[in-house]
Formats: sequence, structure tokens, C-alpha cells
Amino acid sequence: MPTHPAPEERLVNLVVALMATQQGLTKDVILSSVSGYREQVDGGASKDALEKMFERDKENLRQLGVPIETIGDQADPEDLREARYRIPTSEYALPEDIEFTPAEIALLNLAGGVWGSSSMSADARSGLRKIRALGDTVDEQIIGYAPRLNVHDPAFAPLQRAIEQTRVVTFGYLKPGEPVARRRRVRPLALVDYEGRWHVLAHDLDAQAERTFLLSRITGDVELTRERFDPALRDGAGERALTGLDEVAARQEAHLEVHPGTEAALRLRRRARPAGQGLRVPFVDAHVFADELASYGPEVRVVAPDSLRELVVARLRGARERNGVAR
Amino acid sequence: MSAERKLLATDRAALMLQLVPYLVDRGDVSVAEAAKDFDVTPEQMRRMVRTLTVIGRPGDGGFWQMPQDLFDIDWDLLDEQDRISLTHTVGLERAPRLTAREAAALLAGLQLAGSLPGVSDSAVLNGLLAKLARGAAAAPPEVIVAPAAVDEVRERVGEALRSGVALSFTYRTPDGEPTTRTVDPIKVHIADGQWYLQGWCHLREAVRTFHLDRVSDPVLTDIPVTHADAATPALFDADRGEISARIRFPAALAPLLSAHLSGAETTEDGDTCTATMRLADERSLRRLATRFGGDIEVLSPEPVRRAVDDWARAGLAQYGLA
Repeated sequence: MPTHPAPEERLVNLVVALMATQQGLTKDVILSSVSGYREQVDGGASKDALEKMFERDKENLRQLGVPIETIGDQADPEDLREARYRIPTSEYALPEDIEFTPAEIALLNLAGGVWGSSSMSADARSGLRKIRALGDTVDEQIIGYAPRLNVHDPAFAPLQRAIEQTRVVTFGYLKPGEPVARRRRVRPLALVDYEGRWHVLAHDLDAQAERTFLLSRITGDVELTRERFDPALRDGAGERALTGLDEVAARQEAHLEVHPGTEAALRLRRRARPAGQGLRVPFVDAHVFADELASYGPEVRVVAPDSLRELVVARLRGARERNGVAR
Repeated sequence: MSAERKLLATDRAALMLQLVPYLVDRGDVSVAEAAKDFDVTPEQMRRMVRTLTVIGRPGDGGFWQMPQDLFDIDWDLLDEQDRISLTHTVGLERAPRLTAREAAALLAGLQLAGSLPGVSDSAVLNGLLAKLARGAAAAPPEVIVAPAAVDEVRERVGEALRSGVALSFTYRTPDGEPTTRTVDPIKVHIADGQWYLQGWCHLREAVRTFHLDRVSDPVLTDIPVTHADAATPALFDADRGEISARIRFPAALAPLLSAHLSGAETTEDGDTCTATMRLADERSLRRLATRFGGDIEVLSPEPVRRAVDDWARAGLAQYGLA
């Protein structure tokens, strides 16, 4: 027989025990009766070590969405020595009156598949399992579509965790035209996929204003600090980011001449506004758009604005300088 | 079957909390099927089930737990038929709420899935969004996917898929004359905001992938599809050409190039990366190299390097520059 039960046994035992009680269990009762702690008490582990373990377990379970309620002393709610702990079933379990139709399950299956093999995929599949366990679900599939969201950006996962935990982060950000990345300290509020690129809307603590950052320009690791922020800042952040990006796109328009039948014509035509001469294409980020236009080489000529044309010319020149051949 | 996933104790606990309601719902399920549904190996699943049988309510007054306090399974069924059936539960019968992250992953996916033509309507979608919000343990972090414009081509492709008929259209490739294609649609792929149709091409008599930006004049035919089950190749088969090219670029650029470097051999030396990749065509790198301006240098072979220079030079010539 192993000396101690595995930690997952202790965690699940704790959930079972806290859900079985109405009035709650005190820490002493938990440590002396719940399997996983009990054996360690018997084995002579120090009370201090066990209490620390209990605190960690509570935190880990809360991360899993398990609502552990603390009922303090009524006379002195700050005094946690006699606090009782419980898990209210109504808050733990999926509401009984939620039902999913076969059409909804099919749509959820498709939605869960968009993450490919990224870490978000495991979350989506886990969520789907819980929904299917509600019972009576017919596993329908929507065939014919394989939508995928790209999550190549290494900054995606840590930013998402920081938004969830409302924690301030720092990261290096390489702004186009600047030679080195500059460290930013921000409160991340929402992640937005716009035209196939991930952006994070964040409150920049140095600029004291909301800014939108392109994830592909974040260099190095995103570091989560211990500093927290008010979750209310996140309210409506996604919508604000979208509106902001839409407004930028509405303000900026490139006037382009495109050679018909080329890759450039095919790609740009769909995004263009009807115009007499050439194409008029709205854009969000001049540098990102210049990257694309430079890739078309001789297939497209920028008529206006001048600033965009200069960015494209600089890229073409850079490519020549780097790859020029003596002839 | 996927290889054994490394799981932390907390992950395993999360899976066990889901396992009980799953088993209650299924009644009797094979180890293989349960393992597949939980993305674990059959051995991991057997271990989880065995662990479950030593879990239960605390015994009275701190004494050893009695059998009625513990979960139990039909052991004969497991040992003889490799199937799982719960015979006694002591709680956890109901599915836990979605974690904030699980809800976020599904909500973001729904925004993309819900924007596909003909897949859903806004009433179903809004109903689902509300249900997910109600089923989440905490407010999910916002992950928003801006909807892409759906044009006539995308609508027609969707209709052809749903009605099981071939679609005919004009297809333009950058380096060739436009052709008229008739295609049995099999699958629409959406990746990085780009749409692709995979289908059985009547002209080529094989499965082909079409970038929808290159499709025009779509017309629904009345020809029922006959190759809807044809095997489809992976969407992005890495360029496995004859030419081996070496490029050098700043290490900071590596994440941006990751999609292009999937099959490449990359070495990092300080701030600089060198990658060796295979190309089908000497011109394959010119778009990538001009996109990143002076950051990508083609080290070899000479014709690939020259193709980049020619491309940039022709681009500059339009502005009277060289």
C-alpha cells in the first residue's frame, strides 16, 4: 500500500466532503477526516504543513471553477479560525434547467474544433464534455466546414491567463520603426482576432490609456506580475477593441493600382471599396499593410497615401540591399 | 490514439470530477471509448477508474471509510470486458460548471462557427451564448473574433455543400490563364482568415484545393456530387520541392515566420537564425522576402536570391526607383 494517496485523490475527496455537508466543515474536521489529509495527520505531518496544503488545494480547486464557500464567525467575520467550508451544489453544477438541442450541440462541436491542437483546444473539449454529460445529447456534426483560428503567437496563452486572473503583465513590444523592443506594463482586458491577427486591448500603465497591441510584435516572454486590477475594467473591452479597429480602418484608405489577374488583384479586390480608378482599400495598420503590399512586388503600385508608399518602398529597398546580386 | 498526455494532479482531479457524471450518463462504456472522449490513453483511463474507487465521503468521526462511503464499479466488467460501469456513487453525479477558460474557448469558437453561411442563425447563436454564460463558473475572459465579410462566392459554396451538388466557377491562379472548374465540394477550410475549398475537380479528376479569393462567377449546377467522400490531403502540405534554400533572419522574427518554417531546419546563433527549407520553385521565396524587407537574406542558392532581387527591383521600378 502506498504511503500517501495521490494528490488528485485528496482533491476529489475534498470536493466530495464539502459537497456532502450543509453547514460546512471546519479546517480541523477536514484535516482529521478527509482521506488524503487524515493519513498525513496519522503519519505525524506538522499541522502547519497540512494547513498550507489545504490552502493550496482550495486555490487549485477554485482555479478549476469549484466554488468553495467560506462561512466565517458571525460575530467576527474576519476571524477564520472557526470558519466552515462548503461547496454549494447549485453553484458547483451546471444548472439543471439548461438543455442543449442537437442543433446547438452540433454548432458547439464545430466551435470547439477551431483551436486545432493548441491549449485552447483542451479547454474547449473539456467544456464540451461537461455539456454532453447533461445527458440525452445526440452527437450531431456539421459537415463541410473546418474553421480554424491561428494561435501561433506565444503571447496568447499567458495573456489569456492574465485577463482571466486580472493580473498586470509586462512584455517587450517592438514597434515598427523603433530599433529595439520597449518594455510595456499593462492591464490586459480582451483578446481580439481581427483580419486573422490577434490583438490585445490593454490599459497601458505608463501611457495611462487604453492601447491595442498586435501579439505578433510582442517579443520574448509575457510576464505575469502579482499586481491585480479591478475586473470591472474588462467590461465591454472586446466591443471597445472592435469598434476602435473598425474606426481606424474607416479612417485610413489606400489608393492602389493593381495589375489585373495577379495575386495582388485577387487578394485585394475583395477588401476594396468601389472606385473609378484603381482600388481603394481600407487598412488598420500601415506597417502590416505595407508588409503585404511589398510581398506583391511589381503587381501593385501605391498611389496614396505617401506614408504608405514610403513604407512599401523601404521594404523593397531593404530586400534589394540584403539580396542584391552583382551583375 | 493520442500519446500519453502529461497531466498534473489538478488536471487529473478535474478529469475525475467530469468522469463521474459522464459514467452516470453513459451507464456502461468501453475503456477505449471513454479514453477517447477524455483525450487520455486507455491505461490512463483504467488508472483513473481504479483511483475513483478509493474516493468517497469521510468516514463517521474520522474512522476508516466503509464501502457505502466510496465510489464503486463493476470490477468483473472491467477485468473481463474492459468496460466501465459505476455501481455506487457518493456525490459528483452532476456535471461541474464550465471554467471561465472553457467558456471562453467555446464562445470564441462560436463567433467563428456562427459566421459561416448557412450553418446557424442568430436566434440559435444568441441562445447558445446566453446558455454558456449561465453555465460558466466565472466571467470568461473576452476572446473576440471579428466576423469576416461573407460574399457571394462563400454563400454559393455553402449552398453547394448543403445541397450536395457540384459548383462551377472561374478559377484564376497568379501564373496561369483563368480556367472554368466544376467541383464536388468536400470541405471548406478557414485558416488565418483565408478561405479554401477542397473538392473533387471534374477537370483534373482529382481532389484540389481552391483559394476562394481566386474564385469568381460561382454557379450552382444540378450535378449531384459523386466524390464527397474522397480523401483530402492536409491543407498546408509543406513545400517539399527539389530546391534546398538557406535563409538568415533576426531571431525576433522567428514567431512571425513559424508558419513558413514548419518543415525547415532552423538553427539559432545569438540574435540571428539560419533556416534550411525545401522549395518547389526558385520564385517561392520572393513574396516572403520582400514582405519582411531587409530582414530576410537568402544565403543560397544564387537563383533564389536573384529572384528576390528581381522582384524587389521590378516593384521599385514602378516608382521610377531602383
